Amino acid sequence: MARTKGYPAALDKKLQDTKLYLDDSNPEFTKNVKAISRTNAHMCYQCGTCTGSCPSAPRSSYRIRLFMRRAVLGLENEALTDPDLWLCTTCYSCADRCPRDIIPTDVIMSMRNLAFKRDIIPVNFLKTVQAIYSSGHGVPNNDVNRAAREKIGLSRDPPTTHMFPEYIKGIQKILDHYKLKANADRIVKEREG
Amino acid sequence: MAEKKKTTTKKTETKKQDTKKVAPVKQEVKKQAKAAAGSTTEQKARVGVFICHCGTNIAGSMDLTAVEAYAKTVPNVAYVDNYKYMCSMPGQAVINKAIHDNKLTGVVVAACSPRLHEPTFRTATKEGGLNPFRFEMANIREQNSWVHMHDQEGSTDKAKDAIRIAVAKAALLQDLFPKAVPVEKAAIVVGAGVAGMQAALDLSAAGIKTYLVESDASIGGRMSQLDKTFPTLDCSQCILTPKMVDVGREPLIELFTWSEIHDVEGYIGNFDVTIKKKARGVITMAEAEAKGIVGGGCNGCGDCEAPCPVIKPNEFEMGMKPRKAIFINHPQVVPLLYTIDWDSCVKCGLCVTACGEKKAIDLEAKDEFVKVKVGTAILATGYELFPIEKKTEWGYKKFENVINGLEFERLICASGPTGGHLVRPSDGQTPKKVGFVLCAGSRDNTGIGKPYCSRFCCMYSLKHAHQIIEKIPGCTPYLFYMDIRSFGKAYEEFYYRIQDEGAKFIRGRVANILEDPKTKSLHVMTDDTLLNRPIDLEMDMVVLASAVQPSADTNRTRKLFGVSCSMDGWLLEAHPKLNPCGTTTAGVFLAGVCQGPKDIPDTVASAEGAASAASIPIHKGEVELEPYFATCIDEKCAGCGMCVNLCPYSALALVEKDGRTVMEVTEAKCKGCGTCGGFCPGGAIWMNHFATPQIVAQIDAFLLGGEQ
Ligand SMILES: Cc1cc2nc3c(=O)[nH]c(=O)nc-3n(C[C@H](O)[C@H](O)[C@H](O)COP(=O)(O)OP(=O)(O)OC[C@H]3O[C@@H](n4cnc5c(N)ncnc54)[C@H](O)[C@@H]3O)c2cc1C
Ligand code: SF4
Ligand code: SF4
Repeated sequence: MARTKGYPAALDKKLQDTKLYLDDSNPEFTKNVKAISRTNAHMCYQCGTCTGSCPSAPRSSYRIRLFMRRAVLGLENEALTDPDLWLCTTCYSCADRCPRDIIPTDVIMSMRNLAFKRDIIPVNFLKTVQAIYSSGHGVPNNDVNRAAREKIGLSRDPPTTHMFPEYIKGIQKILDHYKLKANADRIVKEREG
Repeated sequence: MAEKKKTTTKKTETKKQDTKKVAPVKQEVKKQAKAAAGSTTEQKARVGVFICHCGTNIAGSMDLTAVEAYAKTVPNVAYVDNYKYMCSMPGQAVINKAIHDNKLTGVVVAACSPRLHEPTFRTATKEGGLNPFRFEMANIREQNSWVHMHDQEGSTDKAKDAIRIAVAKAALLQDLFPKAVPVEKAAIVVGAGVAGMQAALDLSAAGIKTYLVESDASIGGRMSQLDKTFPTLDCSQCILTPKMVDVGREPLIELFTWSEIHDVEGYIGNFDVTIKKKARGVITMAEAEAKGIVGGGCNGCGDCEAPCPVIKPNEFEMGMKPRKAIFINHPQVVPLLYTIDWDSCVKCGLCVTACGEKKAIDLEAKDEFVKVKVGTAILATGYELFPIEKKTEWGYKKFENVINGLEFERLICASGPTGGHLVRPSDGQTPKKVGFVLCAGSRDNTGIGKPYCSRFCCMYSLKHAHQIIEKIPGCTPYLFYMDIRSFGKAYEEFYYRIQDEGAKFIRGRVANILEDPKTKSLHVMTDDTLLNRPIDLEMDMVVLASAVQPSADTNRTRKLFGVSCSMDGWLLEAHPKLNPCGTTTAGVFLAGVCQGPKDIPDTVASAEGAASAASIPIHKGEVELEPYFATCIDEKCAGCGMCVNLCPYSALALVEKDGRTVMEVTEAKCKGCGTCGGFCPGGAIWMNHFATPQIVAQIDAFLLGGEQ
């Protein structure tokens, strides 16, 4: 709602009330994150070891510690609608070093799960789903790779669905079971028309 | 304490224990034992039940009116009452009056844990005119209302059960008389860091002969390795050395350095402690005189040191300075006496020649064992640093310029290996940026580090920051922290002062450290959590404020004294709040860091507390032992002797009596554990206060349920 009539939207945004109120937090969110991630997500003491270990952090606005804070406080909307949620590379460096023995990577994964339930997901992730569905690979082989493989004495295609395409059916069955493909197609269509 | 002794030595020992004071008591007990085990007509039991509300602690979780009504229906109950706080003066008066008015023979208080108030209610029972051992406690708080807070019905039922069971025992309780044993007017203190030294000085000042046993070659402990001490910044040596000299000079303190505890037997008042004097290879002047070597013995001249061909790292200097195989830790040691490190000595004999007529060195020296008798003991075995190289991300022992806090202390100390010049181990250069990694290995739940706060690293890191600002112009300390815990007196003010002096504080736990292979400088990676930005700061040197852990030999030593430890190895106090210096072994006390991390002020306070507590039984002259010992019903004993070897406290022996072999108990040694009583195939052992008929009655009461 515009309170600063006639001013640009950016200023309007700057002047927003950013205080944290009790009803911003949803205790169920903390519980759900914990249950899905199977790690003590509520025990973070904000030391910063995770962000300090994160290869994504120095190159992006992604801050794993911030997501941990949101997990502790149950800030569901803030966590699930932040596009940074999708910048974790799942390298597990933070999980190696967290002194509270939390696995922050899995906390991110659980939040992605919860976000997907609300159709919040970047299109490129959905395209990965489609790629796996059609080829069995998130990143299918290509000619550059094939040449490189040949050069070091490997077969042009790896011994996966690339070499044995008859197994793609099995993968499709799994994805269909979870309606992953159908949902991906639906959302991509909604977004890209 | 559980070391077995041959049964033959028992007889004499037993006789020694049977002082005049004890004999009549024993006979009395025997009589009762027979009475309860057999036929005699005992007066009909009249038990009083007193139910405590404990404010709302108990009353809030169960229906006490129902409990009280039920108690009135339990067999042998002659009187029931309740009160808001049974342990208070008015509460105790209720018990006192009821005993008189109702001619009670036993008392049951349904309240908290006996650990808390058994002594209180025993006293109340005694003041009411009954023998204090006719009291039994039903725990309806810790074991009931607190754990079943949300189950009103269940906790009410459970309280009824507890009372019924307690009454069953109370109806069969007998008069018992604690035994007084004399206390040896001497004490032993194990570990001569600042805690052990302070405790020994206090004990000796109170007129008590004190044996001070230190495993290292000299006294002083960790504090003697420190340069300055927070928050006042006085020089550690200047405040410690006078104490060390006092310890060496005090005639009532007998110092055993390079020694350890080998064995402990006995109980409060009468511990027999065997001290192992490890072969030192060097004798004192007094020892020389005793051997008839006139003017001989080690005078600390150090003539032996120069010719010794073996070079080893000096542990006192954290390995940063060399020493010989014959060595002293540093020039101010007490006692000023050389020691041979047998692991590195090649027995070339050059030192013997150099020592000459003083004849102080004996390359064939052997360990010696000295037995001392003491009334009480204090453990003050201190701490060591957690091996921080286990946290591989910080590169200790991998990167030359990453050091720990104690290494920093030696490097900044004027008497240290560099004469007080802080330099980078890699190139001897003076650092301009020094990083301090706080909570290194502390507050760590990964299973690699320690879950607790090590308590003094925040403060000594502040001190270190001050020291480099003071000594190296233009050098900036960076403290990487999660919280600065400056909780002590004048500590927060110290924090203010160091920040004002220019130290930089970065709130972020260090994720990892990388070394620049060319410059050997270090990249400290973390998150500035307050800026919400990952950071990479290049430091010339990094100091890890490593976690601390109990010193290596603590576990073996504590077991000899029968002292428990907590999960992380720190010695366990009797009560964390109300009895922090005591242990659950009567007569054994704790001082200093061995009980948990403490800075020097807290260490000294705890040492003075332990010394005071340890001197109480000695000044009283005698201690009362709980009369829970086993007794042998001679007529039933077949003399098989199987119990003798079962007893963990070596309290039993076979003796001849009226032409028969029967078992006899040394009451002062018996802890009433019941091992023998449960085992005896003939049922010949009567465990006072936990006698078979009493326990069977409790089990029956439980199994039979409410409606009998
Ligand atoms: C780097 C650093 C800096 C510090 N700076 C400060 C400061 O500035 N101010 C401050 O207040 N505190 C400081 N401290 C804390 C201080 O060191 C301790 O509070 C103090 O040393 C505790 O004394 P203690 O006697 O309990 O233990 P210790 O000093 O560890 O003494 C224990 C003694 O017992 C001996 N021993 C161990 N086991 C046995 C055994 N089984 N038998 C016989 N003897 C045994 C040891 O050899 C040792 O002599 C610092 C600590 C560190 C690590
Ligand atoms: S490392 Fe662990 S405790 Fe520290 S901020 Fe990250 S998740 Fe929280
Ligand atoms: S004293 Fe400070 S640095 Fe040491 S563990 Fe505790 S909080 Fe961490």
